[in-house]
Amino acid sequence: MFSYNRLLFLIDHLIWGILVLVFVFFIFQSEYFLTERNISNILTAAAVLGVLVAGQTFVLISGNFDLSTESTLGLAALVGIWLIVPAGPTTFGGGIFMNPYLSIICSLSMGALIGYAIGCLITYGNMHNFIVTLAALLIIRGLMLAFTEGAPVSGFNNPSADVFYWLGHEKAFRVPGLGKISVAVLATGLVYIVCHLILKHHKFGRELYAIGGNRDAAEALGINVNRRIRQVYMLSGLLAALAGWMLAGRVVSIQSNLGETFIFTVFAGAVIGGVSLQGGRGTMLGALGGVLLLSTIDRGLNLMQVSVFWIKVIQGSVILVAMLIDAQRVRLKELSIIATSEKK
Amino acid sequence: MKILELKNISKSFGAIHALENVDLDITPGEALGLMGDNGAGKSTLVKIVAGNFSPTNGEIFIAGKKTSISNPLEARNHGIEIVYQDLKLCNNLTASANVFLGREINSGFGFFSRLKHTAMNDRAAELFGELQSETRPNDLVERMSGGQRQAVALARTRLSDPKIVLLDEPTAAISIRQVAGILARIKQLKETGHAVILVSHRMMDVFECCDRVAVLRRGNKIADKPIANTSPEEVTGLITGALEKA
Repeated sequence: MFSYNRLLFLIDHLIWGILVLVFVFFIFQSEYFLTERNISNILTAAAVLGVLVAGQTFVLISGNFDLSTESTLGLAALVGIWLIVPAGPTTFGGGIFMNPYLSIICSLSMGALIGYAIGCLITYGNMHNFIVTLAALLIIRGLMLAFTEGAPVSGFNNPSADVFYWLGHEKAFRVPGLGKISVAVLATGLVYIVCHLILKHHKFGRELYAIGGNRDAAEALGINVNRRIRQVYMLSGLLAALAGWMLAGRVVSIQSNLGETFIFTVFAGAVIGGVSLQGGRGTMLGALGGVLLLSTIDRGLNLMQVSVFWIKVIQGSVILVAMLIDAQRVRLKELSIIATSEKK
Repeated sequence: MKILELKNISKSFGAIHALENVDLDITPGEALGLMGDNGAGKSTLVKIVAGNFSPTNGEIFIAGKKTSISNPLEARNHGIEIVYQDLKLCNNLTASANVFLGREINSGFGFFSRLKHTAMNDRAAELFGELQSETRPNDLVERMSGGQRQAVALARTRLSDPKIVLLDEPTAAISIRQVAGILARIKQLKETGHAVILVSHRMMDVFECCDRVAVLRRGNKIADKPIANTSPEEVTGLITGALEKA
């Protein structure tokens, strides 16, 4: 029997089907695709992006945007490394020699603080989130440049940088078929489990859906909407800083453009995963699917030796196709609403 | 004994005076019809009682005690429940999630608490049963008819046992058969000792189930009399301004 509900369920979970299709496509395109090394690479590449997308998903569900996370990621990574490395022409650190654990706490709290400040500007300052986070994106990136004057801050051969290296590079254990699983992948998995629990089974998540769905109603029913929005930006900033820690561990030498233009991929991942830009819709599981799809395509194109000059074109097209599918989904949903209400 | 007393309530939004020195009271088991033309201040008055606005001036007494209601949660804690004109439903959430919005049942404490989905769904199903609605707790609100949406909003008021129930234009957007249901609900609330304030445009509804009618015009209360001592013609005159005072 044809049922709209079943169709909608399929469309809502279409991302996993597409992921399988793309996966199979690449397997036939490159003999190296299904190697443990490549799978491990896909997962590692998905880790940093995944943490950013998780933060963005919260913000999007509450009906807001956060464009600034790529800069927060960069600044958190920069500050974290700068605090532990010596000052000098080859490293350009602060010469503070801070305890690395302390420097990580500093960089994470800085991320949360940046997010909170953005939330305050939006709620107390009554400004549009797009403008505030766009300004933050520029200001934070500018701070990175001004701070380093363009020189990289390098943590190479520095035992204090091991904590960064641990999260970004260390392999935790080997899974047959999937290759070596890095600590970063485990951490991202953990982030997704916690975020999923918060969204599905915690009052906080429920309230975010309500705010994104009908802000007016949420307010009238006594939800402190502005406070929730500040918290959601804080969470986004914190997760961006965590992603910064991960990326710092992978690259160790921090350039002042670290993370630049990442934000497009972050939005693409969330939207492809079914998180609505209008707020109130989307799941962590879907967002994870979007992230995996993007990093799979990225690695696959690499292995197919597609010219770097064409990769951006393909990425853009993937986003367009995803949006096209999403638009059809919304239309189908509306159709099914009409169908069910006419039945009554 | 008055359950709710408003004294000298004024509310201005900048230069606009939405309400000027309005007095209003209601006793348990009484239904008050609050009438007036568009922009007369009915919704503003109701929203002050429900904690959405704080009055610029004036005092609120609940069961004889002076009270300030600064937000909707406080109003609920005082036993005041409201069904808003636009129902205030989140289309993207299920019926049960909407019913419990803002006062979910949790297990655990603080950050480590967890929503009790089954308990909330069961309670919501019970409430829909009492309201004789076919709504199922897990249905999405966006896929519901007007009557079902109304039932979800009404079910919210039954989560606690309120003393005062405010209904802002509850019959404006539903079918005739469902209007009868709402009116029956109001009578039932009265019989069980609740105070009901019904904001409505529909003369018929007010005259069918209210004991008293108060009329607002341009932010002033110009009449407040028992239904038995008035007529639809008089109330219409008062609303439109054809009659200056009752």
